Amino acid sequence: MQNCGPQKSSFRSNFAIVWNEIAKNIKSLLAYPTIILFWAVFPVFWFIPFILQGQAFVGGLESQNFAEMTGTGEYIPFVVIGAILNSYVNTLLHGMGENIRRELYQGTLDYILAAPCNKAYILIGKALSESISSTIFAVSQLTISALLFGMSITFGVILPVFSIVILLILGLYGMSLMLTALSLTYKQSYDIAESLGYVFYIFAPVRYPIESLPSWAQIVSRILPLTYALIIVRGIMLLGADFSTIYGEIIALIFIDAILLAGGFYLFNWIEKRTKKSGTISHY
Amino acid sequence: MVHDLENKVFSIQTKNLTKRFAKKRHKGFFAFLRSNQTKNNLKENNDITLALNRVNIKVRPGELFGLLGPNGSGKTTMIKCLSTILIPDEGTAIVNGFDINKETSMVRASLGMVVGGERTLYWKLTARDNLMYFASLYKMQKKLAKKRVEELLENFQLSNRADERLEDYSTGMRQKVAIARALLHDPPILLLDEPTLGLDPSFSRQLRCQIKELSKKHRKTVLLTTHYMDEADQLCDRVAFINNGNIVAVDTPNKLKEKVKEAEVVDVAIYRPPENIENYLISVLPEAELVKLIIGDENEGFPSKLKVIGGDAEENAGIIIDLLRQKKIRICGVNIGVPTLEDVFIKLTGAKLTEDGM
Repeated sequence: MQNCGPQKSSFRSNFAIVWNEIAKNIKSLLAYPTIILFWAVFPVFWFIPFILQGQAFVGGLESQNFAEMTGTGEYIPFVVIGAILNSYVNTLLHGMGENIRRELYQGTLDYILAAPCNKAYILIGKALSESISSTIFAVSQLTISALLFGMSITFGVILPVFSIVILLILGLYGMSLMLTALSLTYKQSYDIAESLGYVFYIFAPVRYPIESLPSWAQIVSRILPLTYALIIVRGIMLLGADFSTIYGEIIALIFIDAILLAGGFYLFNWIEKRTKKSGTISHY
Repeated sequence: MVHDLENKVFSIQTKNLTKRFAKKRHKGFFAFLRSNQTKNNLKENNDITLALNRVNIKVRPGELFGLLGPNGSGKTTMIKCLSTILIPDEGTAIVNGFDINKETSMVRASLGMVVGGERTLYWKLTARDNLMYFASLYKMQKKLAKKRVEELLENFQLSNRADERLEDYSTGMRQKVAIARALLHDPPILLLDEPTLGLDPSFSRQLRCQIKELSKKHRKTVLLTTHYMDEADQLCDRVAFINNGNIVAVDTPNKLKEKVKEAEVVDVAIYRPPENIENYLISVLPEAELVKLIIGDENEGFPSKLKVIGGDAEENAGIIIDLLRQKKIRICGVNIGVPTLEDVFIKLTGAKLTEDGM
C-alpha cells in the first residue's frame, strides 16, 4: 500500500469537504423518490390558503387598507415572498439538527468526530445542502405564483434578492448550529425547532405587515433575521427600493447574523466538548 | 513537537487513562419536587461507572494487540478515548507520538478505526460514494482518493458491486467497507472494535486473515478488542485482559495460558444444575482454585458447563462425576482439556468473557 496520508488543510481540501457533504446529503435525499413530489406539490398547499383567505376578506386581489400599511396593494406577491423566505426558516431550523441526529442514529457521527478535519466545514456543507433543498422549494413556489397568479419577477432584482437570502441563511445557520448543539445533548431538537418556527411565523411579518403586530410584539420581531430579510426583499421586489432606503435594515441583518453565528459556533464547540467529556456524545 | 524517547518506541501508550460515566437513575420528571429531595440528594444518587481505571498499556509498532474482556468491561471506551471521540477524565495516551488531549488532529490522522460495525455507514449511498466521502474528511486529494478507493475495493473484492447501495449488501460486505474506510488514508495504527461481531463463520475467518495480513505484511499496529477468546488467541501477538475498567494481565496468549497448567482444567456439561453447586464443589475439591458454573440455554439444547480450575484434573473429574451421579444430575460430557484464554480470564477475574459485565 502506498502512503495516502491526510494532507494539510487548504482551501481546496476544505471546499472538497463542503462539496462532498452536500453531495452526500442530496444523494441520500434523492434515494427517496417522494422528495420530488414534496418539492413540486407541497409549495402549492403552503400559500394558496393564505391567498384565498385574503381574497375572501377584501373581495379581490387588491386592498386599500393593505396598501396604506405596506405601500403596495397587491397582497399576493407579499404573501408569496413571506412564504418563500419562511420556508428557509423551516428547513434550516429543522434540517441541521435532524441531520446530526440522523448521523448519531446511523453511527456515522463518531467517524465524523474522529476525522482530522475542521467540523465547521461539515456543518457548512450540511447547512448548504438544506439551503439547496429550500431553494428548489422556493423556485417551485415562484413558478407556481407566476403561472397561477401572474406574479412577475424582474431580472434585475434576482441578484440583490439572492444576496439577502444568503444573509438570511447565515443568520439561520447560526440558530441551527445552536439547535444542532442541543441535539447533541438532548438527542433531539425537533420540539425547540418547531417552537422557534412558530416564533418566526407569528412575530416576523410573514403573512401580514409588521405594523399589524402590537408594539411589544414589534420589538420581538426586530430581533429576528427573517423580519429584516422580508422588509428588504419586499422593498426591492414590490416597492423598487434602492440601497439608500434599505441600508439600515441590511446593517441590522448583518449585525444579527454576526451575533447568531458567533453564538452558534461557541455553543456548538462548548457542547461538543462537554458531551465528549460526559461520554454522552455517541448516545442515542 | 518534542517527545521523550519512550513515546517514540510505542505506537500506543496509555498513562493512567481514566474515564468515568455518570449513570443517572430515572426518578421521573418531577423527582426534584418530592419531599426532602434536594438537588444535592439527586446528585448523590447518581451512580458513577468507572469505565477505565488508571489504564496503562504499551503497544509496539506493528504489533497486533488484543484487548479482551466481557461486554461493558471498558474496551469500547478505551477505543473511543484513543480516537479522541471521548475526553478522558484523568491521564492521557500517546498515539503515534501525539498526545490525545493536546494534539487531537495529529492523533486522528494517525488512526483508522472500526467501531460499531456495519451500521456506521450511509446505507443509501454506494460503497464508492461512502469511501469518497470519508476520504474528503481526511483531506485526501481527489485524484489520490479515487485511486485509493479503487485499490481498496479491489483488495476487499467489492469492485463489481462498488456502485450498489449498501442497503443491498450483506452484513459481511458492509463490514468490509467499514474496514476499507479505516484504511483509506493508510494510517499506521488501526483500532478495531469487535470487527467480527455478528458475521458468519466464513466471513469471520476471511476477515481475520485480512487483519493478520494488515499487521504482518503491511506493518500496521492493530489494537483489536474482542470478547471472542479464539479470535484473540489466533490473531494477537499480545493480549491484555480488561475487566470492570481494570487491566488484569498483559502477555502473549501462550504465556497467559501457562498460568493455567494443561491438566488443571475440567469442563463438565450438565443439565439442570442444582443451586449452590459451585460452593459445594469447591468445598469437596480441596485443591481446586475455582469452580465456575456457566449457565446454558437448555431449551435450545445447550447444557450448562461446570468449569473447574486447579488441582489434579483427572482426580477432580472422577469426584465430580460421582457426586453428580449421586445427586441424579444428568451429565452429557466431560472434558479434561487444554486451557483457553477464557480459562485464564476466569482464573484471574472470576468473571466470564461472555456474560454482561458492568
